Amino acid sequence: MTSSRIRIAADSVCDLPAELAASLGVSIIPTYVNIGGESIADDGVGLDRVRYYRDLPSLAEQPTTAAPSPGDAAAFYQRILDDGADHIVSIHVPERLSGVLNAMRLGAESVAKDKITLVDSLQLTFGFGLQVLAAAELAQEGAALAAILQRIEDVRKHCKVYAIIDTMEYLRRSGRVTTLVASVGGLLRIKPIIRVDGGEIESIGRLRTWSRAEQRLRELTRAEAPLERLAVLHIANYTGAERFLESIQDIAPSDTLVIETTPTLGTHIGPGSIGVATLNRNWRL
Amino acid sequence: MAKTSIDGQALRNLLGAGVKRVAQNVELINELNVFPVPDGDTGINLFHTLNRAWEELAEGEHQSARKVAQRFAFGALMGARGNSGTILSQLLAGFADGLGEAEDVTAPLLREALGTAVTRAYAAVSQPVEGTVLTVAREAAESLPEGLSIDELLQTVVIKAQASLKGTPDLLPILKDAGVVDAGGMGLVCFLQGMQAHACGAPIDLALPERQMAESAVAGPPSVSYGYDVQFLMKGAGLDVGAVRSDLEQLGWSVIVVGDDRIIKVHIHAENPALPLDYAVKTGAALDDIVVENMQLQAAAVARQSGPKAQAEKPELVAVIAVVEGEGMRGVFRDLNCAVVIEGGAGRNPATEDFVAAIDALDAEAIIILPNNHNIELAARQAAEMTDGRRVSIVAARTVLEGVGAMIAFGDASDGGLGIEAIVRAMSEAAQATTSIEITRATRTTTLQGLDIRQDDSLAIIDGQIRVASADIESALLQALTMAAGDNKELATLYYGADLSRAEAEEMIGRIILKIPDLEYEAVYGGQARFPLLVSVD
Repeated sequence: MTSSRIRIAADSVCDLPAELAASLGVSIIPTYVNIGGESIADDGVGLDRVRYYRDLPSLAEQPTTAAPSPGDAAAFYQRILDDGADHIVSIHVPERLSGVLNAMRLGAESVAKDKITLVDSLQLTFGFGLQVLAAAELAQEGAALAAILQRIEDVRKHCKVYAIIDTMEYLRRSGRVTTLVASVGGLLRIKPIIRVDGGEIESIGRLRTWSRAEQRLRELTRAEAPLERLAVLHIANYTGAERFLESIQDIAPSDTLVIETTPTLGTHIGPGSIGVATLNRNWRL
Repeated sequence: MAKTSIDGQALRNLLGAGVKRVAQNVELINELNVFPVPDGDTGINLFHTLNRAWEELAEGEHQSARKVAQRFAFGALMGARGNSGTILSQLLAGFADGLGEAEDVTAPLLREALGTAVTRAYAAVSQPVEGTVLTVAREAAESLPEGLSIDELLQTVVIKAQASLKGTPDLLPILKDAGVVDAGGMGLVCFLQGMQAHACGAPIDLALPERQMAESAVAGPPSVSYGYDVQFLMKGAGLDVGAVRSDLEQLGWSVIVVGDDRIIKVHIHAENPALPLDYAVKTGAALDDIVVENMQLQAAAVARQSGPKAQAEKPELVAVIAVVEGEGMRGVFRDLNCAVVIEGGAGRNPATEDFVAAIDALDAEAIIILPNNHNIELAARQAAEMTDGRRVSIVAARTVLEGVGAMIAFGDASDGGLGIEAIVRAMSEAAQATTSIEITRATRTTTLQGLDIRQDDSLAIIDGQIRVASADIESALLQALTMAAGDNKELATLYYGADLSRAEAEEMIGRIILKIPDLEYEAVYGGQARFPLLVSVD
């Protein structure tokens, strides 16, 4: 399994399921959620997602999220190199939205700058995860660095991430995307459709009701078919995600995943949302 | 004394006498409302239109009849309010055209110019309806005998106009049902009567009566608000983010407050930018990075900014102007990126020149007007034709609720990077797809389309039709929602008016949801007068 000399690393915002990450030899560094004076690693162990999202709406204070420290990053890289890697391709949450990449850069500089290639995924959740997945598959085959970086770019070009925001409240509180928040407004509970593209979150539609928003999400998803990969994303809305998947069953690949988005991202988007990450089958062309 | 010709000064006096007669009859004309709802405004609209025309004749030389007529018509065109006011302004413009180059008005010329006036007014209305002011004008000017003096001509016109007015209920069933004559036609008759009485020697005092002036001042000219985008940092110790947020939410809209106890970033849209700044200073915090921007310019940029980057062609800058009554409703429109909100609605119609001024103030490449009321549409169309070649489209939303639907579609279509034509189409479709329920109070006891209405009943108007009359607001709403709810309806948004509280609206929702559980409900502050509830069903 560890025969490949290039290893793939990523942060936990990529939403790659733990078993998949383990089987592909991907190392994941957790981001942090700060809640009630405590900083909890978002590694799928320390933070109970179900409980976290259940409690989120009633918390007096909005939790914040944090990047790993440069020290965490250095230790993380050191472990991978000690494990026998010649080189690390380290893929991360967009720099426009988060300080993770900066921390990783500082960590890399203190360990072995030349042995670590940092990549801005310019994507979120499984749109970022798809790039990690593709890079890891290629790394396992023993591919060269240039080929891996090229594949990451090819996949990025052909993947799409769309989501329905159930309530603007959390984005509003998070203060990270003020242009979007100001443009959508807040007096009516409008459901914006967002797209992640080029490391930015943008609104590409606004509907008055949930089912109309879901219809739009279906149309956007169908426009990406034929699909090589699909993940239906949700935040504390598994039933909604399953129902949505049911309605696009005819274009869903057999290995379609249903993923609950990491609290690091979910804190800013809020419970109720559903979305998709797609990879078009023509991505190799 | 049979005059065969009058000069500009005499024409001015005639017109002034007509204006005054209308001013004295504003209430009477207002009350000729076909519906038993409190929105009769034809009298006040005609008064404002004519008063604006009269202002043009306040000063300057009045020797030339041609110039007097032209200035009067210009004032009427700019001041035109409501459909009747707009049609009257077209009659006056046609009349001025008809006088041609003449410095004095002869009787034959007057006879001819009345005909020109009617032709122009008919041409200005895309689908002329008989039984309205148009009919009264046409029948009054039709087949006038030749060889009459000016006085005789005016007398004949008034007699024919009165006869025509009496006949309007036979042409328009809605008038007959309500037992009234057409209000706009009544206004025209008053105007002609004033002129004729003066021509026959009635003394004239052109000062408008005190009472009337006071009332028109209350109705007031509609105000136009643009709003400011205010951003600043508050620095200090022990700052309370939550308190700052909730305090600022009272001072504006689109409020974003983030930070901690030492530094807070504030982003707020406010009508008066001084208020949030003043508030922040008074908390004791030090302010930094203060940015205040006029939103009319910014709002126009929104369409460009939020369009997808992938779009090959740069989308045009599109701005929306809407006419909205109620403080909360105006906030909703601004929140949805409406560039200019003109305060007004039934009983308070903006004039053509209000639209012209709003259009001129925008630097958008394309402009969309939402009149949100059938009776405001013509004035908006007239303004659209008077502008400098920029594209001005009217989305004919008939209620403010349809207007909100159109604004949501505007945001959706702008986000999608659509061009102006597709945006206008999407907005029109959304307006039509919105079911509007307006709850108001009956102003009189009557029977309308088989519905027995008692004075002070709560009425539910569904998409412009009075469908429910009930003893109280809640049961009227419940019946209306039962009629409006259907397979593809999911959400009822209740905009509560100035006379209802949020708690009352929410309690009502709490009871109604038990009876109609398939709908979702949202209560939003509308602040409108006369309508305790405006409800859109989407």
